[in-house]
Amino acid sequence: MAECALKIRDISKSFFGIQALREVNLDVREGQTLGLIGENGAGKSTLMNILGGVIALDGGAIRLFGDKYYPACPADATRAGIAFIHQELNLFGNLSIADNLFIDRFPQFRRSPLIDKRSTYNQADVLLSSVDLRLPPQTPVELLTPGEKQLVEIAKAMRRESRIIIFDEPTTSLTAAERSRLFAIIKKLQDQGQTIIYISHTLEDVLRVSDTIAVLRDGCLVSAGPRDEYSVNKMISDMVGRKIEQMYPTRDTCLEAKPLLEVQSLTQPGIVRDITFQLHKKEVLGIFGLMGSGRSELVRIIFGLDPFSAGKIRLNTVNIPKPSPALNIRHALAFVTENRREEGLLMEASVMENLNLLTLGKCSKLGPMGLIDRMKTTKCTQQMSKQLNIKSGPIQKHQAKNLSGGNQQKVVLGKWLLTDPVVLILDEPTRGIDVGAKVEIYRIINQLAEKGTGILYISSELDELMGMCDRILVMSNGRLKAEFQRDDYDQEAILQAAFSASN
Amino acid sequence: MDGKRKKLTFALLNNTPVLLFAFLFIVFGFVAPQSLRYQNIENVFKQASYVGIIAVGMTFVLLTGGIDLSVGSNMYVSAVVAGLAMQRYSIGPWPALFLCLMVGAMFGAVNAFAVAKLKIIPFVVTLAMMVTGRGIGLMFSKSHAVSFPDSVTGLGSADLFGLIPYPIVLFAMVVFCAWILLERTTLGRQIYAVGFNKEAARKAGINTDRALITAYILCGVFASLGGFISVAQLGNVNAGFGKGDEFDAIAAAVLGGVSLFGGVGKVFPGVVLGAVFIQTVSNSLVSARVDLYLHPLIAAGFIFFAVFIDSLRSTYLAKLSRRNIRVEE
Amino acid sequence: MKMYRILLRWPEKVVLSDHFVLVLTALYFLLIWAIYPHMAGHRNLANLLSNVWPLLALVIGQMFVLIVGGIDLSQTSIMAVTSVLGAMVMAMRFDPAKFQHNPLWGVIFSEQGGWLAGHSSAVPAAIFVMLAIGMGIGFLNGLAVAKLRMPPFMVTLVAMSFFSGLAIYLTRSENIMHLPASFIAIGKGAVGPIPSALLIVVSLAAVAFVILNRSVLGRWFYAVGQNIRTASVSGIPTDRVVILAYVFSGFCAGIGSILYSARLEAGRPTLGRNLLLDVIGAAVIGGISLFGGKGKVLWAVYGVLFFVVLDNSLNKMPIEFYSIDIIKGCVILMAALLDALRTRIAANQVIAVGAA
Repeated sequence: MAECALKIRDISKSFFGIQALREVNLDVREGQTLGLIGENGAGKSTLMNILGGVIALDGGAIRLFGDKYYPACPADATRAGIAFIHQELNLFGNLSIADNLFIDRFPQFRRSPLIDKRSTYNQADVLLSSVDLRLPPQTPVELLTPGEKQLVEIAKAMRRESRIIIFDEPTTSLTAAERSRLFAIIKKLQDQGQTIIYISHTLEDVLRVSDTIAVLRDGCLVSAGPRDEYSVNKMISDMVGRKIEQMYPTRDTCLEAKPLLEVQSLTQPGIVRDITFQLHKKEVLGIFGLMGSGRSELVRIIFGLDPFSAGKIRLNTVNIPKPSPALNIRHALAFVTENRREEGLLMEASVMENLNLLTLGKCSKLGPMGLIDRMKTTKCTQQMSKQLNIKSGPIQKHQAKNLSGGNQQKVVLGKWLLTDPVVLILDEPTRGIDVGAKVEIYRIINQLAEKGTGILYISSELDELMGMCDRILVMSNGRLKAEFQRDDYDQEAILQAAFSASN
Repeated sequence: MDGKRKKLTFALLNNTPVLLFAFLFIVFGFVAPQSLRYQNIENVFKQASYVGIIAVGMTFVLLTGGIDLSVGSNMYVSAVVAGLAMQRYSIGPWPALFLCLMVGAMFGAVNAFAVAKLKIIPFVVTLAMMVTGRGIGLMFSKSHAVSFPDSVTGLGSADLFGLIPYPIVLFAMVVFCAWILLERTTLGRQIYAVGFNKEAARKAGINTDRALITAYILCGVFASLGGFISVAQLGNVNAGFGKGDEFDAIAAAVLGGVSLFGGVGKVFPGVVLGAVFIQTVSNSLVSARVDLYLHPLIAAGFIFFAVFIDSLRSTYLAKLSRRNIRVEE
Repeated sequence: MKMYRILLRWPEKVVLSDHFVLVLTALYFLLIWAIYPHMAGHRNLANLLSNVWPLLALVIGQMFVLIVGGIDLSQTSIMAVTSVLGAMVMAMRFDPAKFQHNPLWGVIFSEQGGWLAGHSSAVPAAIFVMLAIGMGIGFLNGLAVAKLRMPPFMVTLVAMSFFSGLAIYLTRSENIMHLPASFIAIGKGAVGPIPSALLIVVSLAAVAFVILNRSVLGRWFYAVGQNIRTASVSGIPTDRVVILAYVFSGFCAGIGSILYSARLEAGRPTLGRNLLLDVIGAAVIGGISLFGGKGKVLWAVYGVLFFVVLDNSLNKMPIEFYSIDIIKGCVILMAALLDALRTRIAANQVIAVGAA
């Protein structure tokens, strides 16, 4: 009986009242490959962050090859023999491949601090050939493609003789050829008896490489077992099988034909290709897709944060050749980004300051040089705060960083709502928020649509989209793959479209 | 082919010093061929050596993504202490040099501590140390000039084996040691890593404090060494000694391809060429009899150009590392 | 038990409050007064206050740049070059022995005086020139930082070197004397019992206060400094905001130049040479963060007060001039340490709350 490489017992973790992991129990046998799947927000990244020493667990314990494992920082995890192949690669672009492989300890001449270059390059060659990367070790890493960089990371993990290698969404930036190469290397590692955890949205891939599969949902482990017990359909239904309670308001779909936002053949090489759709008045249009499918990138292009090389964007039948945030805001387009902390809020500022950030100009004559009408802004922001039920101290003083995730998101939403938008783009609006706040936000969005706003709703939670939207567009690999009308909603069909690896 | 164009742009942006220098060489070849005589070249290197040594020290700090504005004051204090020790306790020139380097190291250690452990921004730390250090130096010298005996000044004008001037020898040795440290030791490579991304370096298990502390102490040592060489050529140290040299050192480094953003740059040939370039420009301005008051303006112009290229390279690299999704073409 | 906790919190409140630096200054002043009674003498206080105004003008300008997350090291050289150019417009007489070999001799000024010497518009024109040049240099700084994405400290360091070199070049290191009395009155004169310098700087502070606290632009400055990405997504023209901050800093340097030149009764190419540390020091001590996003006019005032009282007291003590620099340097290190600590505590709070 192979030894248990990793014993995860009753791991719990909550963030500000939201339970991210609920007493998860998981075993990984030595020499086996565990495929870990689940929707976004199911708890996979939280679990991996705990393993990797990035965050601390609240409850439970981990045993690594029998020993207690309590990493306090990422370096601890590396020292304990756990290697991560992340999407955000931790390579030093200014150094060569060989430098990156040996950066913590180079092969040195005996009893001297001098690096033995020949030995370094020889060892690097060996490592590189074992991952089938045919490049000279002197190559600067910044010149490599994401696929090649990933191979260097794997080589690094092998050099460190890592006991467990964790692959976190490894194929999102790879070409088809690079994917095949990756699987060949994983096969080699498996033959060598390497313990692997493989996390991916591409379910066929997970089936291909794993010996056992575990499914997380809403922070709980809902099923686990040998690969043979699983099929793509079972994986999907395990991931998603949730009772759709009356979380979503009843949708009276009476959308009007007038297109508020039209996108035609929008293309940006490497990001999105040939996107065409229309958003109508009073419509809630959802966009579904996996991480890396291009949905967030698409709306960022529409809002003017990123460039595009071909295609047209029309707002209210006005053609917008060069969108920019300021221009779009003038045309009453609003955009709630997916990362409220980095791009949605001023964390040090007060709730009121965050709420009125976009409407300062409206409350004053003379535009930016004008004085802020304090009474008016106070009134507007207080009204909005009440309307959205933002739970905080006095809004002039309470800093945004001291709010819960749900309230923070409401602040971002409120900020945009104060501009009276005609089109509202929401990117993952309920990510990291407790259920109560979610229901409130759904209600608000529904009301907005009924009043005439067109809403573009991006989310990774399929039942949220199915509950809220009149139509769902499915994106995959930068293209629009399918469109579903409300009457035709079918969870498995939508997921099939999104998970389809090619064509 | 996108890959080829990428490589070409990289080559251009990463080798600016060599290209600049080649350009200068060609220009001088046409305009003033006599400046390419050996004696003249030797003079330029000799004059450039003290700034060059300081620039090498500055490179360590720049590679970690920091800056050291206090090198001028460091030079002053170290030289004053060494000179006074020679005057009062009659120590020989080599012990005096050792003492000078010790003071330089201590000065650098204070910077190192404040940056690595107290986590204060390098520019503020070294700005404050620039002023404080000058004050301490003046305290020791009581604002008088400190003169050095012939045993030291002899070094400034003498030649090793009658062939190569001592300043150049020391400069070469410093460059060699720095090169060995940066290219051929683990610590050196780790300095590059820390400068590129301190967080990633920490995650990779690198002792980032050790890298930072080493960089600032070395900068201090090389600053005092450069000061000593300058004193050997001048004969005495007055109250304004070293003032403004931090600027020249930064200029030499940045012109030599060292990035202000950290993680990029080589001491050889980069910084050497940078120091020589600055000295050459300075000499040419003098021999072209350009108004003395215009020199600092022209120097500032060159530095601006060098920093501009550095910023271009940095923005270009940032754009490239933005994540791409593979779209089915 | 509860009382004890409440009592303990009291000093914490004082330390973190807006007025901590003022309290510190007051305590320090009282301490020094006990040792040197003539500190509170009428003449000393007047002298002390007259040092406050020009420095405050500079720090207010620096504050705008610090708030957007930059720094302006060129303020002192902007002072030098504007001082010199303004003097060239309005000086009444130029000593040929000193200025004959000047590049602008005969072109802008001659033995009979500056460009507009003697005209009634000389002084207003000179003031206009000084302020315009200050703003122009600020514009160039801002352009390099915002559009060319060059590091602020390096850009302004190069600018400092360039423009102080320019000032020296234009005058060949000579001071330009014989400035019109009406100009000198700006720095030294008074309107009734109130010094004109006070009026000018208080008005400047008032304008700065209104901009930062009450205007849309002020909120934009803070937003850009706190999180430039959020500001950008919110449609704020971040490039223009940054450039404006540097323009304002240059403007304030121009004001400082007017006041100092008037007080010293000369256009000086070395004006403000040793002031840089005072400006940055006063800003940091006042609590204006080097990391951006934080700053109030009140803090600038407190910081300047502290620095001027410190400077004044150190000058009165029987210590050598170099010790003053040593002490000032240490004080700035302390202030920067405090700033770094405060920023780290604030950052840790953000991570603790919801890493969802």
